[in-house]
Order: sequence, then structure tokens, then C-alpha cells
Amino acid sequence: MKGFSELFHDLDGMTKTGDRIERMITYFTSADPEDASWASWFLSGNRIKGAVRTGDLREWASVRSGWPVWLIEESYERVGDLAEALSLLIQGNDDLEPSSLAEVVEGILLPLVSADTFEKAEQIKQAWDRLRPMDLLPFHKLLTGGFRVGVSKGNLCKALAEVGGVQPAIIAQRISGEWDPRTRSFSQIMGKESAEDQSSLPFPFCLASPLQVEPEVIGQADQWWAEWKWDGIRCQLLQGGGAGMIWTRGDESAGESFPELLELCPHLPRGTILDGEILAWGREGMRSFSRLQKRLGRKEPGPSILKKEPVCFMAYDLLRVGEEDLRNVAFLERRKKLEHLIEGIPNGFPVRLSQQVDGKNWQELAKMREESRDRGVEGLMLKRMDSIYSSGRVKGDWYKWKVDPFVADMVVVGAQMGHGKRSNLYSDYTLAVLDPHGELVTVAKAYSGLSDEELKEVDRFVRKNITGKFGPVRSVKPEIVFEVAFEGARASGRHKSGVALRFPRIQRWRKDKTPAEVDTLENLSGYARMGEAKKGDGPKMDDEGNLLLF
Amino acid sequence: MKEPLTVRPEGLYCGAGDFYIDPRGKVKRALVTHAHSDHARSGHTHYLVSKSCVPLLKLRLGQEISVEGIPFGEKRKIGGAQVSFHPAGHILGSSQIRVEVGGRVWVVSGDYKPQPDRSCEAFELVKCDVFVSECTFGLPVYRWVKEEIIYQQINQWWQENAQAGRPSMLFAYSLGKAQRILAGLDSSIGPIFGHGAVHPFLPVYQKSGVSLPEVKKPKEGDGNWAGSIIIAPPAVEDAGWTRRFKGARRAFASGWMAVRGARRRRNLDRGFVLSDHADWAGLLEVIEGTGAEMTKLTHGDGEPLARYLQERGIGASVLEGASMRTEEGEKE
Repeated sequence: MKGFSELFHDLDGMTKTGDRIERMITYFTSADPEDASWASWFLSGNRIKGAVRTGDLREWASVRSGWPVWLIEESYERVGDLAEALSLLIQGNDDLEPSSLAEVVEGILLPLVSADTFEKAEQIKQAWDRLRPMDLLPFHKLLTGGFRVGVSKGNLCKALAEVGGVQPAIIAQRISGEWDPRTRSFSQIMGKESAEDQSSLPFPFCLASPLQVEPEVIGQADQWWAEWKWDGIRCQLLQGGGAGMIWTRGDESAGESFPELLELCPHLPRGTILDGEILAWGREGMRSFSRLQKRLGRKEPGPSILKKEPVCFMAYDLLRVGEEDLRNVAFLERRKKLEHLIEGIPNGFPVRLSQQVDGKNWQELAKMREESRDRGVEGLMLKRMDSIYSSGRVKGDWYKWKVDPFVADMVVVGAQMGHGKRSNLYSDYTLAVLDPHGELVTVAKAYSGLSDEELKEVDRFVRKNITGKFGPVRSVKPEIVFEVAFEGARASGRHKSGVALRFPRIQRWRKDKTPAEVDTLENLSGYARMGEAKKGDGPKMDDEGNLLLF
Repeated sequence: MKEPLTVRPEGLYCGAGDFYIDPRGKVKRALVTHAHSDHARSGHTHYLVSKSCVPLLKLRLGQEISVEGIPFGEKRKIGGAQVSFHPAGHILGSSQIRVEVGGRVWVVSGDYKPQPDRSCEAFELVKCDVFVSECTFGLPVYRWVKEEIIYQQINQWWQENAQAGRPSMLFAYSLGKAQRILAGLDSSIGPIFGHGAVHPFLPVYQKSGVSLPEVKKPKEGDGNWAGSIIIAPPAVEDAGWTRRFKGARRAFASGWMAVRGARRRRNLDRGFVLSDHADWAGLLEVIEGTGAEMTKLTHGDGEPLARYLQERGIGASVLEGASMRTEEGEKE
């Protein structure tokens, strides 16, 4: 555990992401490759299952410490974390040469899985004899499974990428899926990027801008391809030669969570990249986003959840076939190739083609758009027929024409106790978006809209993450992202942002989003402008006819 | 047998001497174990405390109070009771109070710790029939290391912050813990500042022979806090006062920091496990050492410790109604 325990305690004690990344860089630069490999394996969320039963562990701890089992229980109650309670109750041994992480994992933890209870007890006793006091907490964490020190896989990849001089996305891919340090060495994880590595990375996503003007302003309806704006998880599906991969917009690899979608890959030409949306899809058709959330973050879903919560891939773009990068090909042509490709997939696979919403003119499309709520979609997507697949958000190529009310993703930066049923619960939230400098600025206060369970969950989070007090309001570490619905925006001095929202209410909790992905002040100001436009001002433009959003 | 002390709404009361120990409300004669606010309350007519506690009590309750200081160990007759004060090792001047009536001896511990502490008188073990013991940290997960090790940790943390050009904010209770920490700081690392609540007690500690480094007030600083350490009470943790120390790393020194959750809830960068109370082993050692036939536990969740003592054949119970720790749950 030499070096690793120090890393664990330091990461656990740090409150800033940048510090954690720096600390990991230091560790990975100097650690033995075998240790570094295991550390990567654990930090990326893998765990050893079935090493011990926690009940047994309490008994052994009782024998070891001399405290009765009930006192171990009381201690656990107070500490709230079994691994930590045990670490405080057991004495370590500071006199011996510390073992390496690889020795502990391969010599103690892995053999435990297949050992009988008697052997397990012996092994644990010996471990307690050998480990330093500071090794105990990380050891017990590895032993009991849970392992959280505030490091996301993305940040781990950043640190490894820095040390190895490899792109984070390539590292991400190398430490995804089924692997362990006995089959993949640290030098393989950190090795130079190959052409194959490159071809297994997603392309930067083309993003749509919100349509903040009347559609006539952007041109004739027949220059635009309209389709439903699906309410799922945007991702690229890659046929990367061997196994397929699914990449979400946050550069997270999600293939492990959706194995049924990877089964498509053998039926796609090598090198294919599809752009689309993962949707919850049952026999009755599309299901709500909340159903999809049951599949999120769940690695290697079991057969029952696969059956109960099926998904499908709604394909809407084709970015590469074989070596051929199609991104500079016009949308309509890409679309034809996509249709051809999807037709070639045998029936029975969970893949669909996002259909065109056909309207002769904007009036017809506007009418269709009214059906969005009933259809369970968010509105219409408008893609200029001749647009290329650009990187990021290029105004004028893709628009999202969402149905009213307006919605924006905002992050909770403050919380206040509610009243009545919600007294003593942090249920009223101050919400923020990103300003042009990338700083969070508050734009709204909102309450209601969450279920009682969600409310309690947010309350627990708030209590653990208070960063300051301002009268009855507690500032909170920005982490929770809500989708907030509102009726309009106007200029106001009430919030620091200079924008106030009308009737903001929480629509849902976006557990799939990070604070970096919340909406921008620019967008909200655009809505404010639109409110004015409706009053008869018409959209504001500069001399060249570009829309002015501020 | 008639016991020397009973529980009244105001606190522990001695009928034979007509006095209270660490009482609430307004009483005529109050014997006070130490100057922390959950033990020393204003409004009583006369106070009797240890000699070294007198200036601290006056700073806390006002110079005009009627208070007498008694040297440790000196026997004093109050009515039908014989009383003496013995060092509790909690903070400067903290006492255990021994009360003997008709040959029956009770000791009220106040807050105590048997571990060495360079900023106050060393704990003295006093034999008794009934021991009224605190049990703030009455679970085996609380286990203190030597204070020298904690001093090393604090100085190292300060040094690292200083090297990175950052200020270090260390929260510690203003009376007792703050001075104990100051006594162990390595002043060669950088300038030391103290919140206004910490300063008044410093001369008292120095006069009693505790060596302290130079401690400045923040207003004496030049606004550049890089490399300095600031000692402040936890009450100002979230207050605007701390904002001036831009980029400061924040730590808290307390026995509660033994558990990670306590540190994480406060969003601290560091927790130093430095307590002025007895840990689990210290409680057991002292309780057994007193030879008391009965130990009454107060201040804290005494149930587990009482049960553990009972299982080992030592008389123990939880003393209801005598705890002063109501409004300040985590007070040390």
C-alpha cells in the first residue's frame, strides 16, 4: 500500500479538483507500474466483489480489538462508514516494511474471493498484522467494495494523460470495459497513440443553438430538415474494429451500460460512426427520460434490468464509414447514406432512424411542434439541408426549436430551508448559469418540482456541501444540475446576472449533467430578447443581418 | 447512605455545604470546574475556582464578579462538606472538584484528559467512591496520538501552504485549544495571527508560565497573508471575517476530526485530531484508576461506555439532568 495509502488520504482530504489531478500526476509519475495500474483500476470505479461479508468482518474485528460486537456496531453507527470504523478500531503495524499495492491486491484481496470463511479470517488477521495504520482505511475500502475519494473517471484520465502524453479520451478507452492489471500493463495504458487508437475516438459533437427568433428569420422552411428533438442521451456509436464503443458528449464511454447497443456493431462497416440518441424504448414505444435514468451509470446491467428497461438507439447522422470522414459532406447526403446503412441492419436490433417531420412551411411545422409534449419529445430540431457536421455549436447550422415553456439547465449554488411540510429541509434553491467568462452567475430561485425522495436526496447533499452562510441561505458546492422551466426572461437587477426568469420551476434533475454543461447567460438573455420581440419590436440585428443576443 | 451530591434543576448540588457545581440559573455559591461557557455561567453570587482559573473566569464573566481562587490540593470546609480542587488537564486552571461529606467522597471531573498538554496543569488521579465523569468521546473509535505528532502535522501543513504562497486558517476554540496550538507552532515558518477572541487569554497563559510565540492581530498585518497562519474560533468559520484571507487552506483542530464525515461536512481541507477531552482509553484508565464503586457519566452519549463498564463489573450509569452541554453540542 506504499504510496497508494498516502495518495488515498490526500485525495480524500482535498476539496479542489485541480489539487486532486495534480496529486494523481505526482503519484503516477513515481509509482511502480504494477501499483499504478491497480490504482488506475480502482480509481476508475472497479471493485473486487465478494471478498468478505461485512458481518464476518465485524466479528473478526471484535476478536481482534477485544471490544464486544455490539460496541463495534455502536462505533459503526457513530462513524457511518464501516471501513472507516474498522480502521479506527484496529491497530496497524508501523514497524514493518510497507507492502506494495500490487502485493496487497494480488496476495490478499483477490485470493479472498475464492477462499472459505476460515481462510478469509486467517488472511484478514495476517493483513492486519502487516498493514500500517494509514493503510487500514484504503485497505478496508478495497475490501468492502466502495471507493470514493472525489475523483471522476474523467479527472483520472486527465492525470494519466498528462503523465503519459496521451489524449485523455484514449486513456479513457484503455481503462474502460473488462480489464485488469494482470491482463493489461501500465505501459499498455500509457503507451503511444496508434492509428487504431485515433480511429476509436468520437468526433467532436455538432451542437444545436436554441431558436430564439421566429423561424421565418432563418429562411425558407424547405431549406431545413426538421425532426423531433429526442429526450434521451446524445451519443456517438463507434464500430472501432474490435469491440464497439459508445461515447457520450462528456467524453464518457457508456458502452458498458448499454451492451445491447454494442451488438449492432458486427452489422456495421468497420470504422462507422453514428450520431444519435439513446432512448428508453419499450414495446409501447418511447418512454420517459426518467426510465432511461434507471440505466444510467449502471455498469454491466443484469438480464432483468435489460428486460425491464430496454433502450434503443435513435440514429440521426452518419459521420464516418470505413476511413471516409463524412463530416464535410452536406447533411442531406449524409442522411441518405445513413438511411441506406440502417436498412442493411437485420430486423430485431434496437436501432431506429429518426424520421423527418414533414411540413410544407413554417406554419405546418409550428403546428406539428405543438404535438411535441404529447409525443414525449422536446420540440423540433432544424438542420440546414446543406450544412456540414461542424465541431461544437455553430450558429445557423442546427437549431433546437423547443416547445414552450423555455427550459434551461442550471446548477444549484444556494439552498434555503422551506416551510411547512418542507421545514428543516433544504428545498428552495438558488440557481446559476455560466456567464461569458465561464463563471456561475445566479439567475433564479426555484422550489417545487421534485419528488419527496429527490427532495430528501438534495437535502442530504446540501448538508454535506455547504460552503458558506448568507443569512438563511447556504451557499452550496455547485454540483446538482436541474432542468428549469420558465415562461420568459427579462432584464433585472435582482440577480447578479442582470436577468430574471418568469415562473422558474424545476422540471427534473439532470443527474447526467455536470455544472460545466449548464446553459449560458447568453442563451437566457436571448430569451429575454425574444420576449421583447413578441411585443412587436422584431428581432434585433446588426448591419450584416446577424442576430444580436445581448 | 446519604450522598454528598444530588441533581437539582440548576445542576449538581451539595446540601451539606449549600453549593452547586457548574450550575445553571442563579445560585448563591457556585464551584466551577473551568472557564468554558458550558460550565462557567454568569449570574451567580459567589464563585469558587482554582487559582489559575480566576483571571480566565473574569475575562469570561466580567472583572466585577465575586470570585475566590483556591490552590490545587488545598482543603476547604464549606458547611458540613470538605472540598478540594485537583487539576483536570483540560485547559489552564481546569479542575476536578472533590467533595467529602461524612467520609463519603465524590469527585466531579468537569472536562478532563489524562494525556500530557504543555499548556495546562497535568491531570491528577483522585480516589473516590463516586466519580462523575464526562464522556464526550465515549467510543473506542476515538483514540488520540501524542500531541507532538499533531504539532508536527500542523507545522508541516502550515509549511506546505506557506511554500505554495497560501495562508493557513486553523479553527480552534478560542480558550484552551487555541493557546495549546500556539504553544506548539514553529514560528520560524511565518507570521502568526489570532482572531480577536483568542487574544485576551494569551497574557494569562503566559503569566502562568506557558511559552507562546508572538501572535498578531489581523489589523496589524499588511494585507499580504501568504505564508501566515491564522488561528480563529470555529464560530467565524462561515463569517465574512475569513474572506480577507484569500486562498487560505482551512483546517479544524478537534477530537471530532477523528471521523472523516465531521471534516467533510464542514468542507475543510484538513482536520487535526487534537482534543482536550479524554479519549476512550483515557476514560477507561481514569475511571478504573479512581477506584470508584460507581461512575456517573455525563456530557455526551454515555450509554455505550456505561454498558461496557457494567459488562466488566464496574458500576456505571448515565447521570441525567447534570449535563450542561445543551446548546453547544460539539463544544470542547
